[in-house]
Amino acid sequence: MKAAAHRRQPRPARRAPFARVTPTRLALGGVAVLAALAATACSTASTGSTGSTGSTGSSSATGGGTPGSAGDGKGGGRTIQVVAAENFWGSLAAQLGGGHVHVTSVIDNPDADPHDYEPTAKDARTVASARLTIVNGIGYDSWAGKLLAATPSPDRTDLDVGDLVGVRPGGNPHRWYSPADVHTVVERITADYKTIDPADAADFDRLKNTFETRTLAPYTQAVAGIRAAYAGTPIGASESIVSPLAEGLGLKMLTPASFLGAISEGTDPTAHDKALIDRQIKDRQIKVYVYNSQNATPDVQQQVKEARAAGIPVATVTETLTPAGASFQDWQVRQLDGIRQALATALGK
Amino acid sequence: MTAVTALADASAGWSWNPVDDLRQMWAYPFMVNAFRAGTITAVASAVMGWFMVLRRQSFAGHTLAVVGFPGAAGAVLAGASAACGYFVFCVAAALVIAAVPRTGRDAGAQEAALTGTVQAFLLACGFLFTALYKGLLGGVTSMLFGSFLGITTGQVRVLLAVAAAVLVALAALGRPLLFASVDPDVAAARGVPVRLLSTGFLVLLGAAAAEASQITGTLLVFALLVMPAATAQTLTARPVRSLALSVAIAVAVTWLGLTTAYYSDYPLGFFVTTYAFAAYVLARLARLAAGRLPRRALLPAAGAA
Repeated sequence: MKAAAHRRQPRPARRAPFARVTPTRLALGGVAVLAALAATACSTASTGSTGSTGSTGSSSATGGGTPGSAGDGKGGGRTIQVVAAENFWGSLAAQLGGGHVHVTSVIDNPDADPHDYEPTAKDARTVASARLTIVNGIGYDSWAGKLLAATPSPDRTDLDVGDLVGVRPGGNPHRWYSPADVHTVVERITADYKTIDPADAADFDRLKNTFETRTLAPYTQAVAGIRAAYAGTPIGASESIVSPLAEGLGLKMLTPASFLGAISEGTDPTAHDKALIDRQIKDRQIKVYVYNSQNATPDVQQQVKEARAAGIPVATVTETLTPAGASFQDWQVRQLDGIRQALATALGK
Repeated sequence: MTAVTALADASAGWSWNPVDDLRQMWAYPFMVNAFRAGTITAVASAVMGWFMVLRRQSFAGHTLAVVGFPGAAGAVLAGASAACGYFVFCVAAALVIAAVPRTGRDAGAQEAALTGTVQAFLLACGFLFTALYKGLLGGVTSMLFGSFLGITTGQVRVLLAVAAAVLVALAALGRPLLFASVDPDVAAARGVPVRLLSTGFLVLLGAAAAEASQITGTLLVFALLVMPAATAQTLTARPVRSLALSVAIAVAVTWLGLTTAYYSDYPLGFFVTTYAFAAYVLARLARLAAGRLPRRALLPAAGAA
């Protein structure tokens, strides 16, 4: 009431009426305001980034930050802050670093889709405090690349799996389903750890040897076992996530690549591809059908139903660690067992 | 020990101390860039939006913003940067809309019809581009609804350069443009090149909409383009004051939105739009309240003075 009264107060000197105000001056004023604001922003930026160097530096040296999904920091020591875009790479990094690292995976929920994930401010903060980042690349997690670009840091090591294994954008991004690439990434993570923390190099070598020869042994054996018994068997799949695995297992993928790509990328498959796959299932050209249960579109569900009706064994894989807390090798071995059982049922051996 | 406390501070939540909160956010380069980009965009959008609301071209402005989506999708498809696509498509759409003469009684209706046609066609193109893109087209949601994470220093520089160019051009056009906006017929009779001004304005609007699209997303552009200007013009009819108010509101809602989004982990577009909407509602209520008690208010005011 009082405020309203004040506003209604008649003014002694009125401003120039509407038409006589020069808009040029107005707009020039706008430019001046903008210039002033930009200058302010730039100056705060320079102080801000100086501050940030200190804070990110301190965070990598200490054990703080966001609570991680795996690995336990060795209290007080030099713990390497590792941020993995997805938990399958995070699981490897945690096991290879032991107590020397603290790993946070941005995608650690089976319900989150890494393709079209929208990062939160918390994710950006986590990335900003990382000493080592692991992203899949190959256009799979472009959001992670953006977060890294927005927080440049000379102290940080960025591991891009696509760049490491030489797969360009547009190629098959599901490198964690390629047994050969998994071993390449394991080697590189250990090498990066040794560069970042040379004092513990011997520890990292020991951790890697244990991991490769003991921890990962069931996985390596499962891959080799299927390859030895069933190489060359024609299979069908729902999407391109199965392709690197089929290659690693020596199985022959009959499903057209265009269909596998469309389902993986969330675009519509063509009618021609669908007709071809229907025929492959009805004629039992494929011996086993493997699908990603985290991305079962209506087309895929239809094919699963058709395959079961035709008596073709069906096996499942998932995009990310399932259940959420599983280790990479437990998850993969369970899936490989499922595929081996399906192959055994189909071929009767 | 001090390092641990510093880190605890940096990851602590909202403290109700604006200085501490800003310092916390600005410890991260990505937030510094977000504030710089947001401020540049807010100023440019508020000034352009002010003229847009005055000229009753909000629908054209919306269309220019929306075509940023096919622009960004098309640019990614062609292998260029999304920012480049925003600018090319928004400015090209501005030229198409400007091709319709704005004279005669049904000029507004014709422009609206053409604008709607262009908008629908280009949105459909955007959908095609996302389908054509072989690979994973990440961030469609952020193209539509905005994102403040992942803005690089290079992008901030581009935003600043475009905003400066837009405002300088507007300064050159400003005086005749205001005349032509308020009374196009009289302006035309006095020899003001109304048609040319209209084209020039739409191109500048396209550039401003392309800027705003990159912060608020193409669908929520009005949060910075219309809402601050509409709020300011509700509060005062004086050009200088309402233009300044428009800029102030746009910058305020952007900063508040960025702060809330940072501390809450929810999307920026929602907060900026909500704050701008709240400002508009408050302005309308204030206007209503002021209109209800004009006579009674004058007396105590005179007494108080």
